[in-house]
Amino acid sequence: MSTREEWIAERVPVSLQAVATMSNEPVPYHLKRWWFALGGTPAYLFTIQIITGILLAFYYQPSPTTAYESIRYITDEAAFGWYLRGLHKWGATLMIAAVVLHQMRVFFTGSYRRPRELNWMIGMTLLVCTLMLGFTGYSLVFEQLSYWGATVAANISDTVPVIGPLMKQGLLGGEIYNDRTLSRFFILHAAVLPVLLILVLVMHISLVRLLGVTELKFEGEEAQPARHFNFFPSHFYTELIIGLTLMILLSALATLLPVGMGPRANPLVTPDVIKPEWFFYVAFRWLKLFTGLTAVLTQGLIIFVMFFWPFIDDWLVRKFKYADISVWIGIVGALTIMGFTMWEALVAH
Amino acid sequence: MTLDQKRWVIGGLGFLFLLSLVSVQWLEVSRRRHEESGGRLGASAVSVPDASRQCVDCHSQVSTGIVDHWKGSTHAEKGVACLDCHKAGDKDADMFSHYGKQIATIVTPRDCASCHPSESAEFAVSHHSKAANILASLDNFLAETVEGSRVAFSPHSPTPGKAVNVVNGMAPANSGCQQCHGSVVAFQANDGGVVTMRDLKPDDKGQPTNLDAVGRIVRNESGKPQFSSTSWPNTGIGRINLDGSQGSCAACHSRHDFSARRARQPENCGKCHLGPDHPQKEIYDESKHGVAFRDLIGQMNLDAKPWVVGKDYSAAPTCATCHMSANMRNGMKITHDPGERISWTNRPPVSLVMDTDANHAVVTETDPEKRRAAIADTADAKRNRMKQVCSTCHTPDHINLFYRQYDDVVINYNEKFAKPGQAIMAALTDNGLLTKTQYDEQIEWTWYYLWHHEGRRARMGASMMAPDYTQWHGMFEVAERFYMKLIPEARAVTAAAARGGKAQGARAADATIDEILRRPEHQWLLKGAEAQADAIQQEMQRKYGQGRR
Repeated sequence: MSTREEWIAERVPVSLQAVATMSNEPVPYHLKRWWFALGGTPAYLFTIQIITGILLAFYYQPSPTTAYESIRYITDEAAFGWYLRGLHKWGATLMIAAVVLHQMRVFFTGSYRRPRELNWMIGMTLLVCTLMLGFTGYSLVFEQLSYWGATVAANISDTVPVIGPLMKQGLLGGEIYNDRTLSRFFILHAAVLPVLLILVLVMHISLVRLLGVTELKFEGEEAQPARHFNFFPSHFYTELIIGLTLMILLSALATLLPVGMGPRANPLVTPDVIKPEWFFYVAFRWLKLFTGLTAVLTQGLIIFVMFFWPFIDDWLVRKFKYADISVWIGIVGALTIMGFTMWEALVAH
Repeated sequence: MTLDQKRWVIGGLGFLFLLSLVSVQWLEVSRRRHEESGGRLGASAVSVPDASRQCVDCHSQVSTGIVDHWKGSTHAEKGVACLDCHKAGDKDADMFSHYGKQIATIVTPRDCASCHPSESAEFAVSHHSKAANILASLDNFLAETVEGSRVAFSPHSPTPGKAVNVVNGMAPANSGCQQCHGSVVAFQANDGGVVTMRDLKPDDKGQPTNLDAVGRIVRNESGKPQFSSTSWPNTGIGRINLDGSQGSCAACHSRHDFSARRARQPENCGKCHLGPDHPQKEIYDESKHGVAFRDLIGQMNLDAKPWVVGKDYSAAPTCATCHMSANMRNGMKITHDPGERISWTNRPPVSLVMDTDANHAVVTETDPEKRRAAIADTADAKRNRMKQVCSTCHTPDHINLFYRQYDDVVINYNEKFAKPGQAIMAALTDNGLLTKTQYDEQIEWTWYYLWHHEGRRARMGASMMAPDYTQWHGMFEVAERFYMKLIPEARAVTAAAARGGKAQGARAADATIDEILRRPEHQWLLKGAEAQADAIQQEMQRKYGQGRR
């Protein structure tokens, strides 16, 4: 051991070898297939969101009088501001898409089953955190649609029995959208939710590490013993290539479809059409199909069911003695979500 | 289910999810772009081509508006900038050097044709492009001679606060007629006159062949040719340009954003198609079409590319919809010749069927054989093209019966008032009872009002379903002008002529008037219509207690 290593070992009594062993997880062989290597993409995109978010926060001023102008400054005047904003916006879109794709893979391969039920629930928490980050981020722009979207969302949460009014108060910091609302959204978006997401993500990855990645075997592989390869360098390179591809995709999106600015929020003028961001289209369409309390309660029920699906699946399999029942339910659910999203996107109202 | 099958499920659903995500994002971006560009200038992200960067940088400071307009244009989106349109060749008469670039101020249809050849070709054969032909018409005589003066004259008293040494008698024509019909673009000449296309004699490429005329153009110290204020600024649709081309695309596609959205809206046409003699815009506003447009403008999808009625929108038709734009039944063909779908011309005193020859001129031949031979495009073919538009919303019966109503109004006007009015005016003129000079006698103004103002209003009102223009602003005023002005004034002319020694001519003219008034449709005037008057009075008495006149 060199003098420098001894110096470090004396002050940080952690064996580098132990760290390397701990982090160099044996990766199941099915992860050689790219489609199964997408679990890391949300984490990669989240990192991009943190970096671009910090840079955007240098300029953003969360107050109704300054928010819109500060974003206009970022978009039109700050050096590479339009690019950072584009990366952040499209990064959010891709992150939500990546989370959904990852969740679909986990669902359809039944990877949430024993002993990984808790990690599924942690994953659901990550999904909710991601959606909340999307909602609060969109609201920060303080343009007409984001302002009225937030107002509508607060009014919807108000209809939830018992805790609804408190949720609305908590979201808006008052009965209506006011001078303090934007700073609330900003703190949620830039501090509370990211920290929460990081903590939950650490739990998620720790459990993956402790329980190992679910081992999947394709036809013809059943009889073979489980094969593994090292995280470093093989899987690391795969993740690196996925990350670089994502960066190219993000740059292309930010450049070819730059993020513009809608009209500034005007509390006195309600737009003809109010729409949330695309990832809430499915919920918005649901609200239009079922009125008021019914819509809100059924949505709550769906989220509850998704949360506890590993246990519901276990019960269904035992009751119907059919192991793939969840697959068919999942197909119907996924098609419904996509259909509702497209439906909402295609109609003006 | 095997893992391989599940892999297909995951792959399939993942693909569908990404597909729906791309579709949603595409819809979102389109919606946002529409929102951002709606009513705002310079909203789109544009990149300025290097060649024009200097122009944009400087004009952003000195004439911000044109740059903002351009930034909001499709041109800007596609990288078409200042020099692409304003560049000029060495030999162009209007070329001048501007900060190292050879440019010309006026962009002509010849310039636009380099990128939009079919649109320019359609426009070139249209009546629009020939609108400056009015420069040798009655209307222009009114503006240049009656309202103003073809010869500049001296003021007859001082104008306090302004030094007026000479009066430009062409002012009414320059600022009135020519702003719609188009001017003959002219530079100041160093001999005190002007230099126009007629002096420059441009060749096929639009370059002047008369270099002597080029040499007479007045230029300022930096070499920029100086326009004559009698011809520029001007975006008249039939403008006669220095390169020999006719027209101005900017008449409808306002510079510098050349907005298709704006060209599709009736207000754009309303710059010229309104007023007492051709109130098409007001007629449209009164019609059900115009009412629907105002109410449903949000559903007109005015930014769509293409903009096909029945596909991209069906809320209401605008002027462009019926006369120019694509529809589902014509192979989605747009035309820049609005005459392609018009079956009557209501411009002259007597409406003519729009059979046109190879030069797109109305065929006036009356011999059936010769007429057939001369026709290149029949009025029926034009009407059928318009019917294709109508049929987007209306049934064939509805359309055919509407056209029957329209034809009946035009024919009634032609036969009862227009042809008789023409015959009376011809009888007075041919018998030497009127001077050859126009508008120096009261009856000439009366006749002009009858056909040029009231007669057109009636016919145009019927063509576009505006009942008030057909009736009260139209036929009612035509009838009043005919019976209460034209006939009495014609009688006064013949009476004065008889007293003045032109008894034979007066008798001949009176005979024409008598023959006309003896016709069945004018009988009520000579023989009275007392039975109808009684019935009307009784009804007025019953309804309002006001039976007596």
